[in-house]
Amino acid sequence: MKRRKSVRRLMRFGLSYLVLVVVTLLVSLPILWLVITSLKKEIEYLSYPIKILPRSPQWGNYVKAVMLVPFGKYAARSFLLGVTFTTLAVCTSAMSGFGFARLEAPGKDRLFMVVIALLIVPGIVMTIPQFIVFSRLGLTDTYWPWVLWGLAASPFHIFMFRQFFTTIPRELEDAAEVDGCGMQRLFWQIFMPNSKPVIATSAIFNFSWVWGDYFTPLIYLSDAKTTLAVKLSTAYLDPKGNPLITTTLAACVIYCLPLVALFFLGQRHILRGVVTTGLKG
Amino acid sequence: MVAVSALARPIAGWRLVRRRRARRTLAFYAFIAPWLLGFVVLTVVPLILGFLTSLTNYDGLNLASLRFLGLANYRRILSDADARFALGRTLLWSAINTPLWLVCSFTLALILNQEVRGRGLFRTLYYLPSVIPAVAAVWAWKIILDRNYGLINGLLSVFQPGTAIPWLSEYALYGVTAIALWSGLGSGMVIFLAGLQGIPEELIEAARIDGAGTGRIFRHITIPLMTPVIFFQLVMALISSFQQFVIPLLLTTSGAQGAVTPRSVYLYMIHTYRQLFTYQRFGYGVALLWVLFVVVMALTVLVFRSASYWVYYEALAEEGRGR
Repeated sequence: MKRRKSVRRLMRFGLSYLVLVVVTLLVSLPILWLVITSLKKEIEYLSYPIKILPRSPQWGNYVKAVMLVPFGKYAARSFLLGVTFTTLAVCTSAMSGFGFARLEAPGKDRLFMVVIALLIVPGIVMTIPQFIVFSRLGLTDTYWPWVLWGLAASPFHIFMFRQFFTTIPRELEDAAEVDGCGMQRLFWQIFMPNSKPVIATSAIFNFSWVWGDYFTPLIYLSDAKTTLAVKLSTAYLDPKGNPLITTTLAACVIYCLPLVALFFLGQRHILRGVVTTGLKG
Repeated sequence: MVAVSALARPIAGWRLVRRRRARRTLAFYAFIAPWLLGFVVLTVVPLILGFLTSLTNYDGLNLASLRFLGLANYRRILSDADARFALGRTLLWSAINTPLWLVCSFTLALILNQEVRGRGLFRTLYYLPSVIPAVAAVWAWKIILDRNYGLINGLLSVFQPGTAIPWLSEYALYGVTAIALWSGLGSGMVIFLAGLQGIPEELIEAARIDGAGTGRIFRHITIPLMTPVIFFQLVMALISSFQQFVIPLLLTTSGAQGAVTPRSVYLYMIHTYRQLFTYQRFGYGVALLWVLFVVVMALTVLVFRSASYWVYYEALAEEGRGR
C-alpha cells in the first residue's frame, strides 16, 4: 500500500518535472532563437532548407547594429525620457501613496475609490483624447508630455506605495510629530529612506514602461525625434533598400539587455510588485 | 504622550486635536496635489473634450469648419461593417486568449507550488518573457512564425518539403495568441503562485487527515480559496485583451512596407487606430473608443455580478482583514 503510494507520488513528480522542462523549452525558445539568428549571416537566415546554427557566429552584426543607424542617439533618448519620467513619477506616486496611507482628510476615501477605479478603466480610452488635447497645445513632437505624465503620478504606483506605507509602524510618525517634525520632513526623511524596496520596484516598472513603450512615441514623436522602440519596429535597410533582418535582431538583443539586467537585479522586489498591483514588468 | 496631556487639560487638548486635524487635511491635499491636478487636467478634461470631439467632424485641423454632428458618429458605427467585423474578431480573440492564459498560468503555478527543486529558477525563467519589450518580442516571434524563413515552417519542411503555413496572415490569430500568451504567462503565474501560498497549510493538513485525496483537496479547498484571485485575473485579462493592438500592429509594421493588418487579427483597436491616425477621423475614432469603453465596462459589470455565484467571499473577507 505504502509502496504503491510512493510510486504514484514519484509519477506525479515525474510528470511535474516533464511539464516544467517542456515549458522551459517553449518559453526560452524564442529568446534563444532570437540570439542565435542575430548571429547569422543574412544569407544564412534566408537559406532553404533551414540552418539551425550559424557556421560561425557573426559578432559583426552587433557592430553593424550600433553603427549603421545612430543607435546611441536613439538609446540615449529612450534612456533620458525613461529616467526623467521615472524620477518624477516615483516621487509624485510616493507622495500620493503616503497621503492615502497616512493622512486623514474629508474626501479621502472617495478619492481613493477614484484611484482604484482608474486601475480598471481601459487606459486607451484616456490616451487618445489626451493626445488630441496635447496636439492642440502644440506639445506633440516634444518631450514635455513625459514630464507632465511623470508629474501626474500613476494610479498603479500610488496603490503600490500606499500598500507599502500602511505597513510602516505608526509609532514612527507619532514620535516624529511630537518632535515637531513636519509632514514634509516626515515623508522625505523617514518614510522615503525606509522604502527602498518599493521605490526600486516602482522605478523599474516605470523605466521599463518608457523604454519598452512603442505606441506613445509612435503617435507623439516624428521620425527625427523618436525613440529606440519605434526605430527598431522596422527593419534596418541596406543602401539598396533591402531589409537586414539579422542585424535588426542584433539591435533588438542589445535593446533588451538593460531591462533583463534590471530584472535580475531587482527580481525579488519586482515579483512582489507584480503580486501587489497585477502590473506587468 | 499626546493622549496623556489631552486628558490633563481637556480644552487645550481639544483645540490641539482640532488644529492637528486641520493641519493633516491640508497636508493630505498637499501630498496628493500632483496626482489630483494631473487627474483633472490630463484625464477628466481630455475625457470631456474627447466626448465633445466625438460629436463633431474634427480631424485635427478643421477648427474653422467644425460642425456639430450630434450622435451621427455613433450611428455611423452601427453601419460600419469593418467596425462590426473588428468587434467580432476582438470578442473571438478575447474568448481564446483569456481562458487559455488563465488555465496555463494557473496550471504552472500549481506545479510550482509543490515542493519541486529549482522552483525559484523556473519562476525566474517563466517571468523573463514579460520583461522583453513588445517590439523585441514581436521580432523574436516573427522569425519563428515567418512563412518563408520561420523556424516552424523550416522544421516542418524537413518532413514535408515546401511547407509554408501563413502563421502571420491567415492564421495570425494563433500567432498573436502565442505571442500574448508567451509574454503574459509569467506575471499570471506569479500572482497565482502568491495566492496558492496564501492558502493555510493547516487546512490542507486537516483535510488529508480526514482522508481527502489530492483531487478532493483541489476541488474543495484550493479552487474555492483561489476564486478571488481567479476573479481578479479574469477582470484584468478581459480588460487588457479588449485593448490589444500593439502586437498585430507591430506584426505588420516590421514586415514589408505598406503591409496591412491581416483580416484574421483586424481587432477593434486596429480599426480605431486606422480611423484616428490613417484617416485623421478624430471625431469618429473617439466615438469608436467610447463604444469600446461601454462594452468593456458592461462586461466587467457582468463579471462582477457573476462573482456572487462562484467567488468564495469568505476568502475575500479573510484577505481584507489580513490587510
